Amino acid sequence: MDFAPTPQQQILTQSARAFLQQHCPPERVQALALEPGGFAGDLWKAMATLGWPGLLIAADLGGGSGSALDVIALVEEMGRACLPSPFIPSAVVATSMLAAVPASHRVGRLLSALALGDRIATVALLEESGRHDAGAITTRGEAPGQLTGRKLFVKDAHIATDLVVIARGGGGVNALVLPSDRPGITRLPLDVMGDEKLFEVRFDDVEIRSEDLLGAAGLGADLLTPAMRLGALARSAEMVGAAGHILDLCVEHARVRVQSGRPIGAFQAIQHHLADLLRDVEASRWLVYDAAWRVAEGLDEAPAVATAKAFCAEACLRVARRGHQIMGAVGYCEEHPLHLFHKRILAASLDWGDAALHLETVARSIGLA
Amino acid sequence: MEFGFSDEDLAFAEEVRAFLRAHPPERFPEDGMDAGYGSGPHSRAFLQALGSRGWLSMCWPRRYGGQERPMIRKLILLEELGAGGAPFGPLAGCDQVADAIIGYGSETLRREVLPRIARGDATFWQGFSEPDAGSDLLALKTRARRDGDHYVLDGHKIWSSHAGIADYGLVLARTDPAAPRHRGLSMLVVDNHLPGMDVRPIRSMTGRVYHYEVFLDTVRVPADYLLGRENEGFAQLLRGLDTDRFWGRFYKPPSMRRILGQLVEYANTTKVSGAPLAHDPVIRRRLAEVATDIAALRMLFYRVGWMIERGMPVSAESPLAKVMADETGQKLMALAMQMLGAYGPLRESSRWSRLGGQIQHLYQASLGHTIAGGASEILRTTIATRGLGLPADRARPSGAA
Repeated sequence: MDFAPTPQQQILTQSARAFLQQHCPPERVQALALEPGGFAGDLWKAMATLGWPGLLIAADLGGGSGSALDVIALVEEMGRACLPSPFIPSAVVATSMLAAVPASHRVGRLLSALALGDRIATVALLEESGRHDAGAITTRGEAPGQLTGRKLFVKDAHIATDLVVIARGGGGVNALVLPSDRPGITRLPLDVMGDEKLFEVRFDDVEIRSEDLLGAAGLGADLLTPAMRLGALARSAEMVGAAGHILDLCVEHARVRVQSGRPIGAFQAIQHHLADLLRDVEASRWLVYDAAWRVAEGLDEAPAVATAKAFCAEACLRVARRGHQIMGAVGYCEEHPLHLFHKRILAASLDWGDAALHLETVARSIGLA
Repeated sequence: MEFGFSDEDLAFAEEVRAFLRAHPPERFPEDGMDAGYGSGPHSRAFLQALGSRGWLSMCWPRRYGGQERPMIRKLILLEELGAGGAPFGPLAGCDQVADAIIGYGSETLRREVLPRIARGDATFWQGFSEPDAGSDLLALKTRARRDGDHYVLDGHKIWSSHAGIADYGLVLARTDPAAPRHRGLSMLVVDNHLPGMDVRPIRSMTGRVYHYEVFLDTVRVPADYLLGRENEGFAQLLRGLDTDRFWGRFYKPPSMRRILGQLVEYANTTKVSGAPLAHDPVIRRRLAEVATDIAALRMLFYRVGWMIERGMPVSAESPLAKVMADETGQKLMALAMQMLGAYGPLRESSRWSRLGGQIQHLYQASLGHTIAGGASEILRTTIATRGLGLPADRARPSGAA
């Protein structure tokens, strides 16, 4: 057991923190939140120069050949800055699916472009039911064939050059990779609380070519399931980072906000809230890192990932809600960053399976019939 | 950063499991109540069995008969004992006193008491709290007067766990009443058989005896049985506080995991309105939630242990883990009672009791945990002030922890 990050992990974390503090301060996050597009292209390019989008991509395709632990540590820093970016759908989930299939010219070219930050991918999975399980997929799509249907809650569809669409084929679930400018694809923004850019994506007789199929026909779930787990874990790391920042905001506020002649941090009620926030952040963090280590080591990670996501979803939201209580009225203003972090945690708690879904995995893993 | 174990450590874990299979808990006579912390009942015979394997002293320096094993071995031992439901109640107390004697005990204590601890022949009660000194421990009044080669103790301790069945008390007493409250305290190892020791049982709400009150009437303790230096007792206590809290709770997560396993089995095999309790979505969800809490706690405790081994301060981390462990325990036992329904309150001796009638006992026992060893309210303040650097509430008296 060793809870210390390696020197390389420390460098990655520290440089990420410094970069994000400089280039993604809360004011920028708030400004992007108010823009319909809300995508900082310059920031994405800078991140690509740092090698971030390519972290999980093999070095021979221009990536960093990083481990799950590296990505999780990086995403925690992104969460700490409340960075709005397509990193998780593109560089974690879609990339994992692409990297898992036998190398082909098309997939290799796409991965290289993703590593460079020239292309961005997102995953279109959820439909009207709002459920993440394969049974909820009704959109039909065969390769070759035609795709007609609708996906909801697709993150960053507007900036994605490539859509990984999960559809139902004759043999089971198909993962299809389509360029987002293929005729028949319409992307409509959803009006969402917070700064996550979510879209309804409509497919009207969209042509699917044979080469659009990722992996084997009907076996899309084999690609999607581990990628979704990594996505869930990345969102958990993001929640930990964001919750950690909320804790810092609250501690600072408790120190400087004076009422009745003393900092409010001298009052036991506030102190006890903050002790609970520390508990929630720390307990969440080490579940995430344990799961990340399991992924990196190739050990059975499913129960650990589900445990982390379920716990973080509830604990980090508690931090956000209690954080509002501690910050008082000023935290209620749009101008104050607290709400951005709260909404980021809320969105992350839902993405790649909410607490209920992951608790069912935990339930089975502890032996419940 | 990694969270696995070495092959040797895994082999040791298997060695402990094999030992437990060969010596099942039921075979050991129980001398004192299981207080529900995860270490099971107090069993002198089991402690001696551990001692005979050398496991009670394995981390000690060689010059005191130990094997200087790394701390992880002790963690593994505790995890396996907790997971196995073993009766090792006195173990944490023995470890605490042994480490204190090794660290700053007299040669007499090292010569006379350590070997007994190693064999499992010496158990200890903690003599800190008094009727007027609980969370405000510094209000304690038990007096220790130096008289030649002895200290003479007069006073009254209460909430002394298992004092009536232990061999020695670790007694915090005032040696200098003129000094400020936090100075002038000393720690002494007091043999229960000394004249003047009057140890009286207190029946707990469970119906069984756990705590005692101890009246000390002119008890003459050899001066060599002073632990550390005179008037430095409180500083010693504070230095040990975070590690002691850790050792006394480290085994709670594996023990809770074991109880969770029993509850899962119960849910799978018990039908309510024709369907297994395991299919009740509320029960299912709550069992899964507490499973995630236990998993998080296990990581937090290993982290505190890792920090302690590296000499890092754990002034926020240790109390944080304790509070969470004890609150999670209460949550688990409340859930268990809920699952048992009408059967919950049935005690062990009822032929209709389920899960051995143990849940009602552990449920009641769990109520004391957030009070003992640092009440959660005090610890949350400690976490905030010493951990997050917040200012102390000026209304509180100075010199308190």
